[in-house]
Amino acid sequence: MEFIINLKANLKKTTNSMTGILSATRLPWYLVIIVLVGLVLLIPGKTSAVSGVQQELVEVVIIGNVLDTQGVPIGEAEVRASTTDHTEPLAEGLSQEDGSWVLEFPERPLNDLMIEVAHPHFDTQIIHLQYAEVSSLNQDNIYQLADVILERRLSAGFWVATFVFIGVLLLIAFELLHSTTAALAGVSIIFLTSYIGGAIHPDLFILSYERGLSYIDWEVVFLVMGMMIIIAVVEGTGIFQWLAFQAYRISRGRTWLLVLFLMLITAVASALLDNFTTMLLMTPISLQIGLALGINPLALIIPQVLASNVGGISTLVGTPTNILIGAYAGISFTDFLVNQTIGVVLALVVMAGFILLFYRKEYSQQSSGISPTLYQKLEENARIENPGDLWKAGLVFFLVLIGFVLGERIHLTLAVTAIAGATLLLIWLKPDVQHMIKAVDWTTLVFFMALFMIVGAIQEVGLISLAADGMSQLIGENLVLGIFVIVFGVGTLSTVIANIPLAAAMLPIIRFLTASIPGAQSMVLYYALSMGAAMGGNGTLIGGEANLVTAGITEQANSPISFKEFLKVGLPVTYLTLTIGFLWLVFHF
Amino acid sequence: MSKMILCPTRGGKDSYPNQDRAIALAKERGAAVLFLYITNVEFLDLTASPKLIDIEDRMDEMGEFLLAMAQERAEAANVEVSTLLKHGHFREALIEVIEEFPIATVVLGSSAGGTGLVTKQYIEELVDEIGGKTGVEFIVVDQGEIVNTYTP
Repeated sequence: MEFIINLKANLKKTTNSMTGILSATRLPWYLVIIVLVGLVLLIPGKTSAVSGVQQELVEVVIIGNVLDTQGVPIGEAEVRASTTDHTEPLAEGLSQEDGSWVLEFPERPLNDLMIEVAHPHFDTQIIHLQYAEVSSLNQDNIYQLADVILERRLSAGFWVATFVFIGVLLLIAFELLHSTTAALAGVSIIFLTSYIGGAIHPDLFILSYERGLSYIDWEVVFLVMGMMIIIAVVEGTGIFQWLAFQAYRISRGRTWLLVLFLMLITAVASALLDNFTTMLLMTPISLQIGLALGINPLALIIPQVLASNVGGISTLVGTPTNILIGAYAGISFTDFLVNQTIGVVLALVVMAGFILLFYRKEYSQQSSGISPTLYQKLEENARIENPGDLWKAGLVFFLVLIGFVLGERIHLTLAVTAIAGATLLLIWLKPDVQHMIKAVDWTTLVFFMALFMIVGAIQEVGLISLAADGMSQLIGENLVLGIFVIVFGVGTLSTVIANIPLAAAMLPIIRFLTASIPGAQSMVLYYALSMGAAMGGNGTLIGGEANLVTAGITEQANSPISFKEFLKVGLPVTYLTLTIGFLWLVFHF
Repeated sequence: MSKMILCPTRGGKDSYPNQDRAIALAKERGAAVLFLYITNVEFLDLTASPKLIDIEDRMDEMGEFLLAMAQERAEAANVEVSTLLKHGHFREALIEVIEEFPIATVVLGSSAGGTGLVTKQYIEELVDEIGGKTGVEFIVVDQGEIVNTYTP
């Protein structure tokens, strides 16, 4: 008993001293450390093309590349050289990320030599070097083998990875588990199968832990992290609620005008920040405005959520899928602005027209007006929290956007700009740092990391290749058909499947199609993916998280959004905007 | 403090008939009415998107606005009224309020869309749990009409 009391006292002392260490004055330094670690991780490391350093003198070297049937390099393929006489290999090594491999021989090989290339997810290939080739090797001390092309095979690991991916999508779609928990469960199953299952039978091997880590795009993780802090500070000023109230005042009871203003505010906010947080902020105030006007508040709110899903497409930071696409394909902030904005504006105009028609009865109702007390309450709820902070936050945010555009010229990665902007905000505004640390939603960052590994797993086992082959056969070399299939195919899937994992899985397929379809090198297929993934989120209530969170808030005010009610307006809007998006891409590219 | 009629509400047009019924009852009995709004942000727990703002504050503001609208309706009927905002789960918040205030009657309503918290089974369980202990009467209304009364 005394032991337990002492233990508790010691724990309390430790906690108190840790609290002292983690005091608010020292927390910014921890952020600086996190930034520095992030910068180190973002700096590309040098990789050695030489596998295995041999102490003894190297006599001859054979080099080569191993690729799959789509020309994608295969990493971690085992390469072994032996002769028919020896059971022990003369030299062995692993292929690198870029598919290259090197075999170093301490002695000059005999006349016959065979090279065996093996990988768990491919059929093993054995190449017999001819006499002339061996002679050339012995003469020149180096020989480059022709590219080794391996054929895919569907192992047991393929099925495990595939079912894990589908399972994670279903768990997220039906909200059976938190998204992060679902993704972590998926990663755990993949690695446990690889290490425990792989030890029992090699066919169960999916990918190694190191290989899994290599699929994590740290630029995305740090960009999202930096933007989280910036968003929390900017949106915490209350600017968007204030704008919504101003829209209510200016529209003077003309509901049709009010909804257009609200859609515009939401679309712009979603383009610059993120649509999930935008709807978290706009929905409560819009509900109050709707009730103040005496109309069905959903006639204001549903158009806003539809606009938020589309508005975000126009910038790289507007949607998480754009961040994924931009980082993967090297598409810059300016590229997104130039190539997407007009299409997005056109889509929003068409959407607005449809909304005014769909809700014409609600918008034609005479506003009942509210009492001065309620008006004052509304004004209070829409106040700017800290006007001093607002201009500082606005200035830093503006500088970050300038940094995104100008930084492209010096290859400054967006993540560095975002983190620098976030750090400047924290130092200049001195917000409650504990609160700001909470603003970095670690569960979301972990979700991204886990998702990258799951998509990496299905890439390793060949599911992505199969899908890419299938799409390639469907599309052939017809670029317009390719744009159509991606915009409408991804758009339709996005109505029911979470768009972040869908976009992440589509990226390698888009890369393959971009390389194989003439004219696709303009990156148009990536923009098609961006449009499809975001616009498709408007199709059903479960199509996007902004939709779900909006419905969660409106239910708390006795204005629930049913699946059917959302579908009646969301589905037509989805296909209208997808059509505009498709036509824009065909016209522009 | 005189006995009160407690009316948990989520506001909105669909709540007006039920709020009016609570106000009418209060007027009939010479009692005060207490409108209660409960903020619960657990619906955010299943989403992967980052929760970057203090949404509970925004929801509280919304709740206070809805309560202010209910308060105006009661004042227009010359009924003594107060409002209260709580956080958490409905059942626990209800119990807390009943223990804290001199509540004689609880008016529970379901929304016209049938999506209210209140189902028959839920009420019966609530009455079993609270009614017997506290002597509080439960009146269930639907679109302003009394559909059931549970007297201790």
